[in-house]
Amino acid sequence: MSVLFDEAQLQIADEAQRLLTAHYSGERLKTYLLERGTFDRELWALFGAQGWTAICYPEAFGGLDLGLLELGLIAEACGAAVTGVAALTSSFALGQALMHFGTDEQQSHWLPRLSAGSAIGAIAFAEGQDMLPGAPTLRIEGGRLSGMKPAVTAGGIADAVIVLAQSENGPVLALVDLAQPGVTRSLLDTFDNSRCTADLTFDDVEARELPGATDALAGAREILRLQAVIVSFEQVGGAQKMLTTARDYALTRRAFGQPIGAFQSVKHRIAEDYVLVELARANAIHAASRAGQSDFGLYAAAARISATEAYDGVSRDAVQVHGGIGVTWEADLHLHQRRARTLSVETGPLVFWEDDVITQLQGTAQ
Amino acid sequence: MTDLTAYRNAARAWIESRVAEFGRDARRGLSPAEDLELGRRYLRAKYEAGYSGISWPKENGGQGLSPTEKLTFDREEILHGFPTEYFSISLGMPVPIMLRYLPDGWKQERAIAALRGDEIWCQLFSEPAAGSDLAALRTRAIQDPDTGDWVLNGQKLWTSWAHLADYGVIVARSDPGVAKHRGLTYFWVDMKAPGVTVRPVTLAAGDAHVNEVYFDDVRIPDAQRLGPVGGGFGVAMETLIIERYSATDPAANGPSIARAIADATRMTRDGRALIEDGRVRERIARNFATQAALAAIHRRALLSLEAGTQPGSEGAIHKLVSVRNRQRLSEFMIDIQGVSGVQWNEQATRKDDWATSWLTAPTGRIAGGADEMLLNTIAERILGLPQDHRPDKGVPFNEIPG
Repeated sequence: MSVLFDEAQLQIADEAQRLLTAHYSGERLKTYLLERGTFDRELWALFGAQGWTAICYPEAFGGLDLGLLELGLIAEACGAAVTGVAALTSSFALGQALMHFGTDEQQSHWLPRLSAGSAIGAIAFAEGQDMLPGAPTLRIEGGRLSGMKPAVTAGGIADAVIVLAQSENGPVLALVDLAQPGVTRSLLDTFDNSRCTADLTFDDVEARELPGATDALAGAREILRLQAVIVSFEQVGGAQKMLTTARDYALTRRAFGQPIGAFQSVKHRIAEDYVLVELARANAIHAASRAGQSDFGLYAAAARISATEAYDGVSRDAVQVHGGIGVTWEADLHLHQRRARTLSVETGPLVFWEDDVITQLQGTAQ
Repeated sequence: MTDLTAYRNAARAWIESRVAEFGRDARRGLSPAEDLELGRRYLRAKYEAGYSGISWPKENGGQGLSPTEKLTFDREEILHGFPTEYFSISLGMPVPIMLRYLPDGWKQERAIAALRGDEIWCQLFSEPAAGSDLAALRTRAIQDPDTGDWVLNGQKLWTSWAHLADYGVIVARSDPGVAKHRGLTYFWVDMKAPGVTVRPVTLAAGDAHVNEVYFDDVRIPDAQRLGPVGGGFGVAMETLIIERYSATDPAANGPSIARAIADATRMTRDGRALIEDGRVRERIARNFATQAALAAIHRRALLSLEAGTQPGSEGAIHKLVSVRNRQRLSEFMIDIQGVSGVQWNEQATRKDDWATSWLTAPTGRIAGGADEMLLNTIAERILGLPQDHRPDKGVPFNEIPG
């Protein structure tokens, strides 16, 4: 895959930006922020109608058979619009898990529905502070699952979830259809309620192991890395939007007889932010281009670190550049602040990805 | 296999065949004079192998290929620490600008001599009061109305390799009565001419590759002028952008990330490997992520060049970020050595020693455009933010309060 975009890719990006700008506004997201566990169904329908949900699936399952870079460009546009749809990346992660490790039956049942956007997926690996617990508390025995997974992104709306659970033979990945008795969703109050985050409790429910994931922890890590690359694009989109917003404001707002962007304290802050965005963008594109290669994990982690630093850093600075207006509910900056921190945590905090980089570097050094 | 891949493979094979004779290990323990001589020998070998002036026209001793081939070769070359630094300024800017402005004949001879390492050119721009503000320079060039010769008086500073140089290009003030950008004229000068004095300036880490250069009534004929009288600032700007994009090292000539990992794995604290310490992991991992991004930006710029478009901000981003990144990591790697961290081997290079890397890093953040200037460039040219307030704008140079 080239790291220079071709015509078709640029068209995907332009179209996504155009549609999201037309159908989306900060006002809309603010209504979701006020209510726990909300989800923008109308927007999700647009994703399906546009084929954005189908990007990474093979044609046999109704997909478009495109790659990480194309989905990344959609995610970038979503990041810029700070959309309320967590399912873009959560469904992607479930789909990837099934494609990598699922049975033919699991694939033919779920992938066409995920591809069409008529089903929503989620992943639930983490427990507390462990992104990938070596001994999960969730128990699976004889195809029955019991226990709880905390703060599952899109957990309040998902139709199916992949869990990391403890079997008698060690950790396994298992697929759970959430439309069955014994599943309880407890919606959580979060600082970004549109993510529809929920604790999922399982009381002796049916669950099917993914037979391909012979090393469940390694498999879960691989899925997380794929998801991290797409989320990195989303973070880059958000960071770029905050950069542009800060730049535009610095050109408009005047103080002491000149635009505030003429003060080096302000213009250098914005220039530094430009650099953060460009570094993050370069890493995201490079990671996407390495999918399937032996060094993919290393560059996925690098992308994740740069993207997290960029989105948090640039949105923080954008608020600062705006001064008083920047901290109001009315200005949309807090939407990005919330989203930046949410994306950082959901897909694994910096300490997790830093450890991942070091472990991989140690491996390549030996 | 693409043509470029074939080119890269051939270049790599040639470069690797020269490592034993000219590489980092071969240079260890040489005196400065011996190292320079080794450098001249390397340039001759490179010239004869057809890897000199890769993107220069053939009539100037070059190969007539594109910047992509040049970058491809340079990228392989920088891995081995060959003694090329003495010639980097010379071949980077002064010789190419001389080739553009002077009449045919003599200039071809000079270009080939420079490519072969037989002659070296320097670039006399900065002065004690004119660094980032280049147009503020004070070295005077006064034309003798009878002969048309110019007489140079003044001082230049931070001139790399002036002590080795045979020739130099220089910007001087020919008219102090007009706005500062308009009163400058550009010349070439024989560095062995009467009245030229070169004094090395020793830098913080003990190395002395930069100099102050004094001009006392140095006479040069008008034929040594490049560009029009009063047009020197334009020629200087043209000189500075000749190297539009160059090969990069994400570690900014400091020790590699692999070296940091190896050192932190070997060192222990309270019986535990330092690499197990979260603070160490964080610093190295974040540094790696930044270096990975710089490498990715560089690869993308190469592809843009191949596709026929000019790179944009890549060079500025690289210079700004890579040296700062190196400075921070070097500082930290000294830190985690504990009390042993103060040790310093003056013979070590910045590529293989954290202390030397740290001591020399500030130079990289100042020379060739200070961080603050690069931030201004990004802010003004790319983001469209306003220029800094410049009270000297439009004021005749001799009326600007000193």
